[in-house]
Amino acid sequence: MKRRELLKLGAAALTAGALGGCGSKRSAREVLLRYWTGWTGHELQVQRELIAEFNRSHPGIRVKILCVAGSYQKVPIAIAGGDTPDVCSAVWADQLYGYASRGALTPLDGYLARWGRSLNEWMPGVRRMLRYNGRTFALSTTANSNFIAYNRRIFAECGLDPDRPPQTIEELEEAAERTTLRDSRGNYIRYGLRPGGLQIWARVFGGDWYDEENGAITADHPGNVAALAWLQRWFKRYDIRKMETFEAGFGSLEASTGAFYTGKTAMWQTGEWAGENIRRYAPHLDWGYFPLPAPPGGRKNCVQLGGSVFVMPAACRHKDEAFEFLSWICGQYASRRFCREIHNIPPLIEAAQAPEFQSIPLMRDAIRLAGGENAFGPAPVAVWPMYQREIQRAEDRAIHGGGRPAELLKEVQRRVQREFEEAKRYAVF
Amino acid sequence: MRSSERRRSLRALAAGLAFASPWLIGFAIFTAYPICASLYYSFTRYDTLSAPHWVGAQNYVRLMTEDELFWKSLRNTLFMVAFGLPASLAAGLALALLLNMRLRGMALYRTVFYIPSIVPTVASAVLWMWLLNPQIGLINRLLAKAGIQGPGWLTDPVWAKPALILMGLWGVGGSMIIYLAGLQDVPRELYEAAEIDGAGGVARFRHVTIPMLSPVIFFNLVMGLIGTFQYFTQVYVMTQGGPQDATLFYALHLFNRAFTDLQFGYASAMAWILFAITVAATALVFRTSARWVYYPGEMRQ
Repeated sequence: MKRRELLKLGAAALTAGALGGCGSKRSAREVLLRYWTGWTGHELQVQRELIAEFNRSHPGIRVKILCVAGSYQKVPIAIAGGDTPDVCSAVWADQLYGYASRGALTPLDGYLARWGRSLNEWMPGVRRMLRYNGRTFALSTTANSNFIAYNRRIFAECGLDPDRPPQTIEELEEAAERTTLRDSRGNYIRYGLRPGGLQIWARVFGGDWYDEENGAITADHPGNVAALAWLQRWFKRYDIRKMETFEAGFGSLEASTGAFYTGKTAMWQTGEWAGENIRRYAPHLDWGYFPLPAPPGGRKNCVQLGGSVFVMPAACRHKDEAFEFLSWICGQYASRRFCREIHNIPPLIEAAQAPEFQSIPLMRDAIRLAGGENAFGPAPVAVWPMYQREIQRAEDRAIHGGGRPAELLKEVQRRVQREFEEAKRYAVF
Repeated sequence: MRSSERRRSLRALAAGLAFASPWLIGFAIFTAYPICASLYYSFTRYDTLSAPHWVGAQNYVRLMTEDELFWKSLRNTLFMVAFGLPASLAAGLALALLLNMRLRGMALYRTVFYIPSIVPTVASAVLWMWLLNPQIGLINRLLAKAGIQGPGWLTDPVWAKPALILMGLWGVGGSMIIYLAGLQDVPRELYEAAEIDGAGGVARFRHVTIPMLSPVIFFNLVMGLIGTFQYFTQVYVMTQGGPQDATLFYALHLFNRAFTDLQFGYASAMAWILFAITVAATALVFRTSARWVYYPGEMRQ
């Protein structure tokens, strides 16, 4: 008896406490949104500042940011548990289609229309990247571009015109050959260029990874094979093992970066972020840049788009408020400010026209490239992470000497096709 | 009378279970349930994002018949079991023998050799990336002093696994301590008796130390076997399976399939196959143990 009374008392006290809490706090009817991000350091700091600004200007909503850097596996696990963040930018563009096809994300088209936003505000390549199977599943606040940086002093020393960087594949090959320097034993003192990434070079050679019209995997596309053959020839000519041994001596984990600053490589395949790095770490370096050149029949000015995207998981509990935040953080103002602070380029066409970007020639050119017709995101297939790994394996095997490009890519085709077909059978979207 | 006794013993059981319940509940929720669930998932197509679909034995069939990386990763793992494990067992024993000598400051040496095994795996992996660096790494510098041009350890498919084995030898402190404890238990009179019978150093080691140490070797072998089949962290940090899949070990392939490809059903099937292989290998070692493991206690029976 006594125990039961005690329990009753306790229950009453608890209820009173809860009600009291409600009365004092809920009057504002504030909706709490959980936002997960993978940004760290300075980027995270700027995100925090933006969120504080959003919270101040949106009294009904309070966004709480959580950094999940280094543990993106948390995202699928949270989705599996049904306890997801309301907005999440801890998603690589590479992962987007896998989540989308499995019904883990909220399609955003209805919300965009209701809020008077349009995907046409984003650059065309980015626009394509944010869509899957006819629906929009993500927004973005940053973009990137690719080019090759070159050391003007080395170019001049080697009899190349620093004001006229390579424009064709032949000229690129020639520049690499002329700027390469070996010692008497044939070991490198400096090499011209280490081209990397079959994914982007396949685009350069006119290849494709996916045929959207026919819904077919095209890993063994002739352009892809040509690109892989070109990379294989390159690394055979320059002896990949010697290159890797030389690279090991660069002495930093960010090896390629430091090597370019110190003139151990004359050219460096990179992107617009190089500008800020060079300004900070090698301010006296005399350098220039040029877009990836293409062979006849290939694609000029290719860019591999990627990076983080913002999504609203299907299990988001406050979708209207979540989209209000999503739309704001991926809006003209926030994107412009975020990109200015972290030296990225905004994917929003209007924000990218702002003077702080257009007044810097490098940024202006990077924006033109990212907004150009040859800026490609990942292939929009659910099995892309696996596909990407297979592409890297084929590249690794080709440049280290094993296997013929056509056969390697045929194997990729076979493995991915099988997984692709099966994923389609179980897809929600 | 009997019923009250029974009641008392039931109550004692309940109390015992209640006291053990923090562990029992933890075990049930965080170990037993996931293990059972993974067996179920291994017969499904499950991506964690949507409900699992029953596919029968399809995952197992695919693994065996269509996935060349399954076989490749299994071969790589067996390579480590066949070469890495004996090497580290031998190195641990050799080190323990050295540290069992009566020398001044031995406690210090023992501590020094044990320290690497308390360094977190990720930290030691990063450290070894530097040591194994072909240009500026300590190992190739030493080789160069001896007139040998060292390989590009982690970038050369031939040398990547040996590099990992070499790195494993650095962390034998754990098994070394167990060997050392075992060595201290070997009765001195056995050595004295052997010496009187004219046994030299090698004979004493072969006929006294090894038999007396065999239960400890057996223990380290079984634990090492289980650990080697699960080899993961080092390659996840250092090589991601490259170069040319040379360090794609079973657990890494499993991890990729689960967390990159979201094929949790397939990965669960892989986990159960690994479990079966580990059990079989351990059982095999147990069956041979009667022939080479010697327990002094058993003599008296």
